[in-house]
Amino acid sequence: MRQPSVIARRVAAASVSLVVAAGAAACGPEDNDAKSAGGDSTPHKGGTLTVLNSDPQQDFDPARLYTSGGGNVPSLVFRTLTTRNRENGEAGAEVVPDLATDTGRPNKDATVWTYTLKEGLKYEDGTKITSADIKYGIERSFAPELSGGAPYLRDWLVGAADYQGPYKDKKGLSAIETPDERTIVFHLNKPEGEFPYLATQTQFTPVPKSKDTGTKYEEHPVSSGPYKVVTNESDGERLVLERNTYWSASTDAERKAYPDKVDVRSGLDSSVINQRLSSSQGADAAAVTTDTNLGPAELAKVTGDKDLASRVGTGHFGYTNYIAFNPTIKPCNNVKVRQAISYAIDRSSVVNAAGGSALAEPATTFLPDQKSFGYEPYDLFPAGKAGNAAKARELLAQAGYRDGLTVTLTHSNAKDFETSPEIATAIQDALKKAGITVKLQGLEENDYSDKIHNVKTEPGFFLAHWGADWPSGGPFLAPIFDGRQIVKDGANFNTGLLNDESVNAEIDAINKLTDLDAAAERWGALDKKIGEQALTVPLFHPVYKRLYGEDVKNVVISDWTGVLDISQVAVK
Amino acid sequence: MSAPGASGARQLWRRLRTQRSALVAAVVVALLVLVALGAPLLTAIEGQDPTTYHPSLVDSARGGVPIGSFGGVSAEHWLGVEPQTGRDLFARLVHGARVSLGVALAATVVQLVLGVVIGVAAGLGNRWVDLVLTRIADIFVAMPLMVVALALLAIVPTSFPRPVLVALVVGLVSGWGTLAKMVRAQTLTLKELDYVAAARLSGWGTVRIARRELLPGLATPVITFAAILVPTNITVEAALSFLGVGVKPPTPSWGQMLTSADVWYQAAPQYLLLPAGALFVTVLALTVLGDGVRTALDPRAASRLSVGTGRKQEAKGEVS
Repeated sequence: MRQPSVIARRVAAASVSLVVAAGAAACGPEDNDAKSAGGDSTPHKGGTLTVLNSDPQQDFDPARLYTSGGGNVPSLVFRTLTTRNRENGEAGAEVVPDLATDTGRPNKDATVWTYTLKEGLKYEDGTKITSADIKYGIERSFAPELSGGAPYLRDWLVGAADYQGPYKDKKGLSAIETPDERTIVFHLNKPEGEFPYLATQTQFTPVPKSKDTGTKYEEHPVSSGPYKVVTNESDGERLVLERNTYWSASTDAERKAYPDKVDVRSGLDSSVINQRLSSSQGADAAAVTTDTNLGPAELAKVTGDKDLASRVGTGHFGYTNYIAFNPTIKPCNNVKVRQAISYAIDRSSVVNAAGGSALAEPATTFLPDQKSFGYEPYDLFPAGKAGNAAKARELLAQAGYRDGLTVTLTHSNAKDFETSPEIATAIQDALKKAGITVKLQGLEENDYSDKIHNVKTEPGFFLAHWGADWPSGGPFLAPIFDGRQIVKDGANFNTGLLNDESVNAEIDAINKLTDLDAAAERWGALDKKIGEQALTVPLFHPVYKRLYGEDVKNVVISDWTGVLDISQVAVK
Repeated sequence: MSAPGASGARQLWRRLRTQRSALVAAVVVALLVLVALGAPLLTAIEGQDPTTYHPSLVDSARGGVPIGSFGGVSAEHWLGVEPQTGRDLFARLVHGARVSLGVALAATVVQLVLGVVIGVAAGLGNRWVDLVLTRIADIFVAMPLMVVALALLAIVPTSFPRPVLVALVVGLVSGWGTLAKMVRAQTLTLKELDYVAAARLSGWGTVRIARRELLPGLATPVITFAAILVPTNITVEAALSFLGVGVKPPTPSWGQMLTSADVWYQAAPQYLLLPAGALFVTVLALTVLGDGVRTALDPRAASRLSVGTGRKQEAKGEVS
């Protein structure tokens, strides 16, 4: 059972994963139009890479960062036990060793995980990285003053639920053992076949105890990666990274680290970032962004310009925007009504409202359409391109609403093209054709988030979205559909209030699997099974498009982050 | 009482007519009001409505930019369509006129009623009534309109009809404080005049004195003030909608169109230019008209115009 405090953190987690999503989305050549990155496309060492961002790196402490796969800028400084595979597309959704020699060796039921560190690993000051430092790094992420990370460690590690971090509790966590300098062993509460994915998060970064300065550590965290922090100004608004001479490419197969210097400038307006990247003047020619997507209007301009279009990177992050139903509220308690709405949805106008076919792909499955999630295509209530109003009317008649029906759609007033008024009005227009009158209830962002995640105030019919902490079905389906994760007096994410014995049992069974491909297949099948209950109407999966400067080479965009990986970028 | 009122209006019109700019402005305003009133009819003639989506009229692969030149202008869509949704821009613009003008006029009425009632009450009441009412008016004059309106509009439940709410908030928060102070000053002046004193001596009650003797004397400054309030209210409504707290989608308003259009200024410029142009023309016309009304009612201007000696001299008077 989760504790309320843990749950409360998950709200923060969810909102941060959005930031990660937005912050992750970058640019890379996936479209055929993005293949020509300058005449000489061979990447060379040297030069300065400029990063133009809107959100400052306020928490540059590995304990406090909430990332998917270790983040983009953080991953240049922090190495972790495992990391994401830095490759284009599908291959990039795999988990690979980083500081460890492999992705982890589980015991038979996946409750004990053992890792061995590579040899010759050093910090920026030349001292040796030991397994005790990784244990210490994880322990300090439990300190209340260094909160912010994902809730999994507290939930999974034996006896960690009430642990308050190494400052208060010097004994440390007995769930983590370090029998020697290169070995680290984790003991978990229950089988977790996806532990290797968790070990990509920055909490698995080594932190030397002697250099720990508590909340001040983020100003100059000790680097284990290819770059070290030389400047950190204005609470992470300006960050300058230079080569860490003790980092060795021979121990790191993932980070290419071509530029000599990385200059991160944030606090910029998104339109300014896109304007500077498109004009690509001076230092901006060697610039990328790790948090700013092209909007619909900017895309319209970029696609009309050949030069600009060749400098757009496209990626997919595991993310779904959907309509959620609360099956305890009339008329959405009637499965026929939920099905009718599913049939009536006009996904082409919803996709247009989200920025058009280049920025959103219509979704009929709850799981993102990627292999690593175990995507199994299905369309249980085929609405076609523009909605099947006739079928919807038929179902409504069966449900006793022969003369149509009126429902209230709750949405946020955020300007995000996700749960925003644009999407809501598109749905309103589509349902009108099926005789469903939709009243819109727009709420301010915080109010909206509080209301939909509280079982007492949850509306009957609302817009929602969910992103993955790592590219697998587990963190996608379990929080939303596991009946034991319904929280009565805290932040609840199982908004469909589904508590189905067979679903719960299948989630437990899949978590035992350590063969991630086999697990993926089972997640896909489970997704389809849950879909039959029509508790959600999947709307679309976002596509990230980002500009990069003229001199930027070796653009790699994985399906894990959906954004340009700055550890691969070259500017010479 | 109706005879002097009618002759007052006729006189105002006669003087207004001599100012060409005010006349043009009056015609423009009249047209705008007609367009706003006839919005459903006009869109019916066009064969469109402001809320229906036309996904096939926008280029989905290019962010939803309208297909065709000038933002998809065609025989079916006179001013083209909105990016991303394909909704008819003409229909949204004329329906938006209803919201913009309607909210602004309703807010003006609220401001006038409040300003006159509180101003007259302060002018006629005893020392304490005067002090309290004047201080209240001062507070509202000092209140930062946008901040207060943003806060008020954010806390009222969305079930409350939005255009009515916006009109009320704009009317209650802004404009009337200054008007009340002006009306109070004018009332204090009028109160001392002989005919008012005569009325009081003959035993008339305060309300009757206010209605019969004071209001006619207040008409000129109040009308002048109203003429300035209307365009101000239009811009306030547009600003509130622009900031996302005004009328809610799918109800179109000019301010709201500006919000969603501001990012499109390069890819689909007409989308931004239409509501911006409509707003500009409306506010300009109303301001010029207001200025004309003020000139026509100004007693100093009136003396220059040699009141009541025929059109010719009036025209001459205006030139001088």
